[in-house]
Amino acid sequence: MITFEHVSKRYPGGASALLDVNFHIDAGELVFLTGHSGAGKSTLLRLILMLEQSTGGQVVVNGRNLSKTSPRLTPQVRRQIGMIFQDHKLLSDKTVFDNVSLPLMIAGMRYSDIRKRVRAVLDKVGLQSKEKMWPSMLSGGEQQRVGVARAIVGMPPVLLADEPTGNLDPQLSKELFSLFRQLNGQGVTVLIASHDLTLIRSMGQRVLVLSAGRLIDDIPAVISRGGAR
Amino acid sequence: MRAELVKGRLRAWSRRQLYSFFSSLGTLLGHRLATTMTVLVLGIAMVLPLGLYLAVNNLSGLDLQQDEWGAITVFLHNDVGEKGAAELARMIDDRPDASVETVSPQQGIDEFRQASGFGQVLDLFDENPLPWVLLVTPRPQDNEELGMIVVTLDGWLQTQDAVDVVQVDHKWLQRLSGLLDLGEAFVKVLSVMFSLAVFVVVANTIRLDVANRSEEIQVLSLVGAGDSFIRQPFLYSGFWYGLLGALFALVLLGISVLYLQQPLEDLLDAYGSSPDFKDLGFVHAALVLLGGGVLGLLGAWVSVQRYLRQLKVSGMLGRM
Repeated sequence: MITFEHVSKRYPGGASALLDVNFHIDAGELVFLTGHSGAGKSTLLRLILMLEQSTGGQVVVNGRNLSKTSPRLTPQVRRQIGMIFQDHKLLSDKTVFDNVSLPLMIAGMRYSDIRKRVRAVLDKVGLQSKEKMWPSMLSGGEQQRVGVARAIVGMPPVLLADEPTGNLDPQLSKELFSLFRQLNGQGVTVLIASHDLTLIRSMGQRVLVLSAGRLIDDIPAVISRGGAR
Repeated sequence: MRAELVKGRLRAWSRRQLYSFFSSLGTLLGHRLATTMTVLVLGIAMVLPLGLYLAVNNLSGLDLQQDEWGAITVFLHNDVGEKGAAELARMIDDRPDASVETVSPQQGIDEFRQASGFGQVLDLFDENPLPWVLLVTPRPQDNEELGMIVVTLDGWLQTQDAVDVVQVDHKWLQRLSGLLDLGEAFVKVLSVMFSLAVFVVVANTIRLDVANRSEEIQVLSLVGAGDSFIRQPFLYSGFWYGLLGALFALVLLGISVLYLQQPLEDLLDAYGSSPDFKDLGFVHAALVLLGGGVLGLLGAWVSVQRYLRQLKVSGMLGRM
């Protein structure tokens, strides 16, 4: 589902963010991406989102070679990807419902269908009673869950998360990760960038380790997938 | 199959339009004060050329071809009697371009008594001091210029022995017509200038709007919104600004007309023109609204395009 082949990213100033990165993530996998800050985790996610273009190698997502994809098709690529941000990136002047429904509005879905889908997703993340609230009225954990709901409402085959637990306490982090696993169980490919090593270890999933722009380790999933439960 | 696909896309497109439509309305209502200020500025900018247009349009409604307006008054020498006057009148009547009316000294004095109120002054004279007078009315043929005929007639009359003074009551008519032409040209110039002003005001408002919402634009872009989806609400906003501005201009114009209608009708009446005040009329009002909307849309379009390009260049929206 996501393939990196000899991918490099060098910024105009000369600093290299990624160097010859190779990996392949199958459809339906749940993979963690870890490393110190500045190791290149965000850059890697930005390449998948077409926020940036690699300076070498090829990034293939869902069968589409992004290096050869016209910028015009960026919106189409992004609609195939649900992205969860550390700072949530919610629209403060729109209600929870309107925030979550954005991807469906963009897709031009019928309003009655949007309502059903958004309610179902809010139910899933445990925010069914807050759809009329504004983001500022919610706690950090709740805001993050609104972000998750927005990422999954369009049922994208790929889910990316950039430090999703960055501002959450351990209990909330665990809940969020089990939500990711649940989504993964429904066939969604999930890639989570995180430096929360304890939590990552407890999950027993495949881990990609970046250091100074290089992929230095690719730890396979522990065989007994239920081990962490 | 293909038709189904096209239909589906069309439906999705119209739903997106609907979303942008309401989203833009929501934004405008959300910033009521700012919106009101912008609309006021736009309305005032638009009402100036509109008001002038209305004024010029009504004044040029004066019937400039009326007989008495082109009249030439011919005073004959005092020693010319009824016979001489009648002879000259016949000569004028024979011309294809004029008709004539003869006023005897007695008629003249009666008229003077009635009109001026200085009738007693006339009693001081032993005999009637007034000469015979001919009122000559030019008769323009189909396309002939009234002014030209007057000049020709004037020239011809001057050469007649019986004629003492020819008084052409025409100069001021030319001046008025010239003023109205100037007014019309002025309306055009003002319209262009104030249209430009509307365009610029909307463009600037939308520019600020886009700048304030750059974060929102970024989020929209990240969740897969294309350029048109991002652009759409701003275009609608521009359209609303223009439309509401035009509406406000029409309201202002209506209020002004309430004040100006009576004096203007009196003025028209005094010039013997039909005293019906001509307002904009439904079609023109609709055109003004449409024009305002389109101008706003254009201003918004230029502004959004520029700013989106800037955001892309800055890399905020990634590769687009």
